[in-house]
Amino acid sequence: MMRNTLLLLALSLPGLAQVRYEDILRGPADNWLTYAGDYQGQRHSSLKQVTAANAGSLVPKWVYHIPKATGLRTNPIVYNGVMYVTNSNEVRALDARSGSLIWQYKDTRSKKEAVNRGAAILGDRVFFVTADVHLVALDRQTGAVIWQKKYGNVEDGLYASAAPLALKDQVLVGVAGGDTGMRGFIASFSASTGEELWRTYTIPAKGEPGSETWGELIEYGGGGTWLSGTYDPDLNLVYWTTGNPWPDFYAAARGGDNLYSSSLIALDATTGKMKWHFQFTPHDTHDWDAQSWPVLLDLPYRGRARKLVLHANRNGFLYVLDRVTGEYLNATRLVEKLDWASGIDAKGRPIPVAGKDPTPAGNRVCPSVRGATNWMSPSFDPDTGLFYVMTLEQCDIYTSSSMDPEPKKNFSGGGAGPKPAEIGQFLVRAYDPKTGDKKWEYPVVTPTAEAWSGTVSTAGGVVFFGDDQGQIVAVDSRTGEHLWHFATGEGLTASPITYSVDGKQYVAIASATAIFSFGLFEPAQRKPAPKIRIE
Amino acid sequence: MRFAVLTLIFWLPLFAQHEPKEDKPKHPFIGDPMAIEAGRKLFSGGCAACHGAEGQGGRGPNLRQRIFWHPVDDETLYKVIQKGVPGGGMPAAGLTEDQLWQVVAFVHSLTAPAIETIVPGDPAAGEALFWGKAGCGGCHAILGKGGKLGPDLTNAGATRSLPQLREDILDPDAGGAAGYRAVTVVLRQGTTLQGVARNRTNYSLQLQDANGNLHLLSTADILEMTLAKGSPMPKDYGARLSGTELGDIIAYLSRQSARPIEMKKK
Repeated sequence: MMRNTLLLLALSLPGLAQVRYEDILRGPADNWLTYAGDYQGQRHSSLKQVTAANAGSLVPKWVYHIPKATGLRTNPIVYNGVMYVTNSNEVRALDARSGSLIWQYKDTRSKKEAVNRGAAILGDRVFFVTADVHLVALDRQTGAVIWQKKYGNVEDGLYASAAPLALKDQVLVGVAGGDTGMRGFIASFSASTGEELWRTYTIPAKGEPGSETWGELIEYGGGGTWLSGTYDPDLNLVYWTTGNPWPDFYAAARGGDNLYSSSLIALDATTGKMKWHFQFTPHDTHDWDAQSWPVLLDLPYRGRARKLVLHANRNGFLYVLDRVTGEYLNATRLVEKLDWASGIDAKGRPIPVAGKDPTPAGNRVCPSVRGATNWMSPSFDPDTGLFYVMTLEQCDIYTSSSMDPEPKKNFSGGGAGPKPAEIGQFLVRAYDPKTGDKKWEYPVVTPTAEAWSGTVSTAGGVVFFGDDQGQIVAVDSRTGEHLWHFATGEGLTASPITYSVDGKQYVAIASATAIFSFGLFEPAQRKPAPKIRIE
Repeated sequence: MRFAVLTLIFWLPLFAQHEPKEDKPKHPFIGDPMAIEAGRKLFSGGCAACHGAEGQGGRGPNLRQRIFWHPVDDETLYKVIQKGVPGGGMPAAGLTEDQLWQVVAFVHSLTAPAIETIVPGDPAAGEALFWGKAGCGGCHAILGKGGKLGPDLTNAGATRSLPQLREDILDPDAGGAAGYRAVTVVLRQGTTLQGVARNRTNYSLQLQDANGNLHLLSTADILEMTLAKGSPMPKDYGARLSGTELGDIIAYLSRQSARPIEMKKK
């Protein structure tokens, strides 16, 4: 009898549904299926239960503390009412309505601890990376391990923190460690079997094209791939950003442009072959990794429909490129505090201002090492046509060290930080990507400039973001007018998302140690308790 | 003070990523099969009289389950064995440094992941039993193969000690069966669901059925809930399996780890 009941249930349940590639293509609605919600990196939801008119009635629905967490970076994934969050070497599945833990998976044998930016989901599986560079596939309902693959060596200066990118039957991963010397790459694995399909390095090997842009340190050139990427299904191209060249602040031994560091690269998703690259900061000496989101937009641009990629770069400029060819189209200033380049030339190359490299005594340069923006996620709202991005107006003192660079020894060739009296200012800004014009800005009181929280926009006309004092804030997407805020009580180093279960919209964000989920206020209803028998 | 902190911030390099931490190194005998075996012999000759031959406890504390003794690190354990417990009845061991570390390695192995210890029994025979006569694979999975109602055993050897694995099979509810208590609910709309309670509060229940499907329920939608004190796992494996068979299954489980075993360099 029990067996029959179970079989009948199994046939009728939505729980059996697989997360199909086509489901991810549709973009975020009830579910939030990639780091940025969709493949385009737009981080915009079609949900509209929460509106500019009622956002003031948002209240916390639940909080889930992750034991031992510090500075969570996780971007939640939500599917069918289950939320997946990560911390160092672990994944937890939560009931997205109640915040109750369903299962947890911890890799207790990892050789490292590191931040983790989130999971990916496809089919019946969730995927995440361990700090010591393993990719793990788990059953999304039970948390059981399906397969696990080591894809890099910590002994080579690598560790892993990025959320994987799942598409078709592939899972793409990156590596971190570029601040201490390593060689970055992006690798693709079969989602079904864990077999490695391809691997593309972001720094050429000696003798390969591009190696002439390096000196003797090419083997440890950096070019980390520590943020997830975006994907154009029609072009079958993956867009992934690369990190700084190493040593970060001392460039004497790496003359040349240092390809393909601090760049955006477009890879064929099937083969991994690099179709084009665009280097935002050639010969970077300010640790300006290109890790902010390459946002894919289809817009009329200068009189014709174009496939564009929009990129707010740490170096202070907002770029528009043709994402079919990588052709440079335009760049405008993202911040006012920008003095290392006088502009961008017709080919997209910065026009440097002399005397702006780090020095042993310290050299004041704008923007800061944290960048005009960074990996905190931006959003694009197709209804308003606006691009929302957290920006930081700050200058730093950059120092360099002429010590012999020694890879994997925590040496970055110098350092940078603001003068105590010159802590900068965060501002959420709304830009028109067609012109680069700023439509509104929302200044954030910035005591420490240590937040790493971005935005999510919604069809309800609300933009949510985290500020420098641990508050999640809602503003009107058309005007930037304040609608609501809530203090989580601790620092925010992750970006908000939104999802819906049983017709109710939630907005969630990871704080330093917990996951918060908010929804519109509803008075409690008195309902009869179930009859419980314990046998 | 604030100025000092800010000055520190000013001079420290700010990296794009936080650097990961590494574990401190262990004594080379820890996890070393030969050292553990040598330690077992020393333990049998001296410590077993009070702690039991396999550390199961007697006059002295049970050393196999850390809830019964204060979990200490290996260095502290070394000092306790070396110097004894003054006034507590435990004498100093009178062993050489290497011998002391061998005993530490053995005691450590009692609570260490099974994969790090020597296991008697035939893993291949255990594998055949697991997927065959013993029926374990009907509810448990290893690397995606098997049932979904019970805990995944892909990392059984990497996360459970040998004494724990034995107890898991012979007395599966001894640990409280948290997350796996059998549950049947009748919903107000008439449906009946059966499975295990992965979690529950007064207000919600996360039920997983035999196919692994999750049912996220509000208790307001539940008419009746029947909750077992334990898991659905049979309680009679002690009678069903011979001693050899049990040892073989434990040997098989002790080898299970999602990541390959990295053998220590001699």
